[in-house]
Amino acid sequence: MLEWSASVFVTTGYEGTSIDDLVTALDLHRGSIYQAFGSKRGLFIAALRHHIETRFAQARPTAGDLDFVLVAAVERGHRDPQVAELVRAAVDRLGPRPDRRLGARLLERLTNEGEEV
Amino acid sequence: MATVSIEGADLVVNVEGMDKLWTLKSRLTIPMGSVRGATYDPGIVADPKGRRGPGMHVPGIIVAGTFHQNGAKVFWDVRDEKMAVVIELEHETYQRLVIQVPDPRATVALIERTLTHRDP
Repeated sequence: MLEWSASVFVTTGYEGTSIDDLVTALDLHRGSIYQAFGSKRGLFIAALRHHIETRFAQARPTAGDLDFVLVAAVERGHRDPQVAELVRAAVDRLGPRPDRRLGARLLERLTNEGEEV
Repeated sequence: MATVSIEGADLVVNVEGMDKLWTLKSRLTIPMGSVRGATYDPGIVADPKGRRGPGMHVPGIIVAGTFHQNGAKVFWDVRDEKMAVVIELEHETYQRLVIQVPDPRATVALIERTLTHRDP
């Protein structure tokens, strides 16, 4: 469920994802989401933590794995200390020159004439 | 319609105007320790609300008062769904508050900032 949430947030962003989007994607009642996570932010942080623990631990994260971290950094990193701490933890596991990897992925995500990456 | 503020260690919800009649409350004071989170959720008004008791529900006009759904007590005070914020609670009489505020994003940001300082 946390992985599904991550892919919704990667597709529509943090602000752009509504609870309706999450209810549809997760096939859960709205009340269950609130009860389990407290808020959209609660779900986002749980999904981010899970993503980092599973994709950034042993194996090298793929380019696609970076997308959720990029969304977190750009949309929430500057105003949410918990998100910033999680992003830093992910960046620490990227090896030397993490800025190069993140920057390269950011540019890779640019579309060409409207095609989706 | 309500205003939300932080007073000391409490979240204070002031119900405004005529809505006090339908909600039977003019003010809710919740310790921040009981607040689990806040979310801007315009879609919640379209969801089923459960059993009304006591309160007022005129679809498209107003949802106000106490509603009982799946064992949870939910406090409502919303006229315009585009302004609805959901505040999730624990260890309180109400499990959830669904209230209309003048600036939903600012209200969510205020509550989240206060929570972050509570749990760094």
